[in-house]
Amino acid sequence: MTAEAIAARPVPTADWVTIEDLYRNPFPIYRKMRSEAPVHWVPAVNRYMVTSYQACHTVENNQEIFSADETNSLMKRAMGHSMLRKDDPEHDVDRKSYGSVLRPKAIKEHWNAIFQANHETYLARLKSAGPGADLIWEYAAPYAAENLRLVMGFHNATQEDMQRWSQTMINGTGNYADNPDVWAASEKSYNEVDDAIDEILPYLRKNPDSSLLSGMTSMPIPLEAIRANMKMTIGGGLNEPRDVLGVAVWALLSHPDQLAQVLADPALYPTVFEESVRWVAPIGMYPRETTRDTVLEGVQLPKGARLGVVVGAANRDPEVFEDPESFNINRPKKPHLAFGGGNHYCAGAWVAKASVSGIALPQLFAELPNLRLDPERPAVDAGWVFRGMTALPVRWDAK
Amino acid sequence: MAKVSFHHNDGNVDVLDVDPGTSLMRAAVTNGVAGIVGECGGQAMCATCHVYVRPEYLDGLPEISEDEEEMLECTADPRDEDRSRLGCQIKAGEGLDEIEVDVPASQI
Repeated sequence: MTAEAIAARPVPTADWVTIEDLYRNPFPIYRKMRSEAPVHWVPAVNRYMVTSYQACHTVENNQEIFSADETNSLMKRAMGHSMLRKDDPEHDVDRKSYGSVLRPKAIKEHWNAIFQANHETYLARLKSAGPGADLIWEYAAPYAAENLRLVMGFHNATQEDMQRWSQTMINGTGNYADNPDVWAASEKSYNEVDDAIDEILPYLRKNPDSSLLSGMTSMPIPLEAIRANMKMTIGGGLNEPRDVLGVAVWALLSHPDQLAQVLADPALYPTVFEESVRWVAPIGMYPRETTRDTVLEGVQLPKGARLGVVVGAANRDPEVFEDPESFNINRPKKPHLAFGGGNHYCAGAWVAKASVSGIALPQLFAELPNLRLDPERPAVDAGWVFRGMTALPVRWDAK
Repeated sequence: MAKVSFHHNDGNVDVLDVDPGTSLMRAAVTNGVAGIVGECGGQAMCATCHVYVRPEYLDGLPEISEDEEEMLECTADPRDEDRSRLGCQIKAGEGLDEIEVDVPASQI
């Protein structure tokens, strides 16, 4: 044993944590856990939950000890073995197959005009639904889904297909209860996505465009990897921009002083975006597995330990962020972990920023005068592995 | 070993001896150098390992790739046309036994 291991303390158990409580509101639970230890064994989750900023940061920057290639991964079953469950060098091959499709130059040259058109389509849909409409389901979800559909190149699918595929496969990745109905829906989407890819690749070979799938046709990458990576991207590229958009609108509407500040200075929307993903990380937890006995921030972990890296907790660590539970666009800028870090840093980060803080947020507030929460029906925020608004009824004045 | 010096705005300097081939970003993140974030782990996907290379070391640097060029347009602090680089794209010891850089005031 090394001196480090001898000095380390055993992992505390948090047997008081329940999935139901986490789903409703994980933040008081994270606060209590973080104040006790950076890592706990959590029986209800069947994982070691890593909740301190420093520990999460250490994990995501050391793939030799903290592998993304998890044993018995539900994500592998639900979506295939994507780059998100590979370490380098294998991960790097897949990652490079995305080329420059999701980078700032392509966004400026191709995607911003498409995001703008989609914004106009779904803003019109929200307006026609009228005051009291749900901003998530009339606007944010179809807007994010249609953006993703075109970025990926699924010209043979609809935004409704994208939403169904995303949600059913995400439910599969979280199907710890092994519910057969969840698996059936997830597997149906799995097969539909494979069929859609098989159908569209020959078309894109003849009619190349700026999309991810079009780029894949000229990359030396096996079909199995394309299929898995596309499923991961459907799961990771739709609910997340939808949820940051919903949380950002909800946060501004619940903090009138900050809303007034942003309305007076639209250059603040990128700051609103960053604070929203810090405050409520759309992906709150992701898995890693230890490749050997190790010590993480003074806590012993055995080889093969299944970790949940709780970036949703790390982003509210008082060691890093002052008054961390508050939404505050005026806080000192510090790097958050909402996009992950290290080699798995979110490939869609620039697309999310462009579509949400470049287009959707400023134009929603400009086009919907006196946008406000519906006093009769409350907004609902929910989830922990994935967290966002499940309902956001809003009202506005006629222009 | 190669020597890397990170000069901070307050006058403090972090001097590191690193294995040749280590990127400036990795050296900084591993050793807790303030002001270098390196969010994306070295893929030239973010611009949070921005450094200003001191003029006397510019000749030994590799060319700026297309990806790095794109990210240098996204830095939090203004780009310096001659001295701005991403720390993840510069490896210590490769034509540079020693390098000194200035750390920008902000990366995000």
